[in-house]
Amino acid sequence: MNVEELVREALREQADAQPPVPAGFADRVLGVRRRRRTRRLLSVAAATAAVVAVAVGVPLLHPGGNEVRPAAVPAPAGIRSHPDQSPPRELIAAGRTAMAAYYTRRTVPQGGDRGVTHRTYWLLNPETGRYEKDARWSFVAVAPGLRTAAVLERTLPAARIGLLDLATGEVERWIPVSHGVAGLAFSDDGRRLVATAYSANPDQAVKVADAGNTGRTDWGPWWQGKVRTGFHVVDVSSGKATWSAVPPGRNDIGRLDFAFSRTGDLVYSQAVGGRDGMQQFYDLTGRKAAAPADERHLRSDVPARLSPDGRLGAWGLVAEPHRVSYSAIRDPLTGEEIGRARGAQLLAWADDRRLIAWERDPERKEYRDRLVLVTIGEKGVVPLSGYRKPNAEYHQQEWNPVFAER
Amino acid sequence: MDAEAQESFREFVAGRSTALLRTAVLLSGGDRHAAEDLLQNALVKAAGRWQRIDEPEAYVRQILYRQQISRWRLKWRRREVTVAEPPEAGHAPDVSGAAELRLVLRTALSRLTARQRTVLVLRYFEDLPEAEVARILGCSVGTVRSTTHRSLARLRQLAPELAGFGPRPRQRSHDFSPVEVRP
Repeated sequence: MNVEELVREALREQADAQPPVPAGFADRVLGVRRRRRTRRLLSVAAATAAVVAVAVGVPLLHPGGNEVRPAAVPAPAGIRSHPDQSPPRELIAAGRTAMAAYYTRRTVPQGGDRGVTHRTYWLLNPETGRYEKDARWSFVAVAPGLRTAAVLERTLPAARIGLLDLATGEVERWIPVSHGVAGLAFSDDGRRLVATAYSANPDQAVKVADAGNTGRTDWGPWWQGKVRTGFHVVDVSSGKATWSAVPPGRNDIGRLDFAFSRTGDLVYSQAVGGRDGMQQFYDLTGRKAAAPADERHLRSDVPARLSPDGRLGAWGLVAEPHRVSYSAIRDPLTGEEIGRARGAQLLAWADDRRLIAWERDPERKEYRDRLVLVTIGEKGVVPLSGYRKPNAEYHQQEWNPVFAER
Repeated sequence: MDAEAQESFREFVAGRSTALLRTAVLLSGGDRHAAEDLLQNALVKAAGRWQRIDEPEAYVRQILYRQQISRWRLKWRRREVTVAEPPEAGHAPDVSGAAELRLVLRTALSRLTARQRTVLVLRYFEDLPEAEVARILGCSVGTVRSTTHRSLARLRQLAPELAGFGPRPRQRSHDFSPVEVRP
């Protein structure tokens, strides 16, 4: 057999292994075409009206190179939006990322001035494309592919991790852990989990007097809760878990879950300190480690982090003129701002140029936000969800998305 | 696009998109998301002139191939993976099973440039003659020939396991392809 024949066989085998196109592909194509045409008509109208756009983006997006990316971005692919739904009932997705679940939070009194904040999850059923309430779990992390989730039962910290089949709603396997855990995160490839261990429930709350001296009380985080003890790294296929103790830091309080670095060689968590968004990295034995070169300028409070190709870093809110938010896009290696995208908080990358973000309603003085798709350097947004009800209270948050790669 | 055209477009997508997606996956080096994007864009373009297209499948395929190459030119998609120096001859791991070999080859294919991969897909998956490939890609037959040649040489670099598999015996030709240097 010669190389040409081998190439032929390899290509055929790879082609045959492909599952069919998703149902409704024609509708998806026709929808994209409709949106593109509308956008083209709108942009012509805008040009006619001589509207001067504020330059919010810098086209030079390749760190260290002289390449200039084209300003025009290929049309949105695979967008599933429901701007009339809040919380969403049907799949929300853009590009490579889908909202795999969402949760609400509610603080339940435990006697005296103490309470515990519980989450209730709605999980995407991959068969129906709808979010379904599953109140069995206190914490859920969804693996890339949207078929499997890692779950913790109601009482935290939990002594075992369940692997839930999202289509059937049944736990396929339980993985016991030696130290009780309350937080979970998958590695990028979905093969490992980092499970954060706590000596007590990290979501405890205390009653605090209302800041306006109105005599009312509200729930606030429990500031004495120095409860994080370390983490397990779990190999999902074998169920083997390693344990690494992490001594509590001076300012550690409450929930400070670990997550994997991009390469999976390290874990990191939010570090409580003088600035918002600080992060601390650890090696897999639990020793403090320097941040990887391309993650040292990221923020722990901006979940999107590195773009899929690793060249751009999502950063925090930098401007909010006229109730319109802009977040920075930084060169991950130098920390230099190289572009901006709409959005108050960048949550997940849809592809190398677009992100899913929270963005506020510019028409209203009160702060209410919704999920939108934003493109680096562009002013417009594509609404993905309806607006969340404005709610400033700590103890009750309307809904929070959990994203995973499709 | 009127209702009748929409109906015929839907029928075409329902009947042919799985086959088209297979080609798109190969062109994208196995990246299923990129392949769906590629196919979606090609179908959107085709939908725009649906009533004027005589052979929809040929038309969509041509867009797929050309689009993939122009994407590469724009460097919009992820860049090709740069691989370190090829291992020296004689140190290649022993890959005896055909399945493993195809897996190694698949990885190597994903590391080619989009242009190299497209030419190989057209030549060896679609089994098109060189002149047809040249017509589809809008280049000369000589370019198709030299790109094919370079692509296979690059595959051998990326997958030293192919060292034991020779090239097809070459016919004498007058093209100016670079001479392949085998390890």
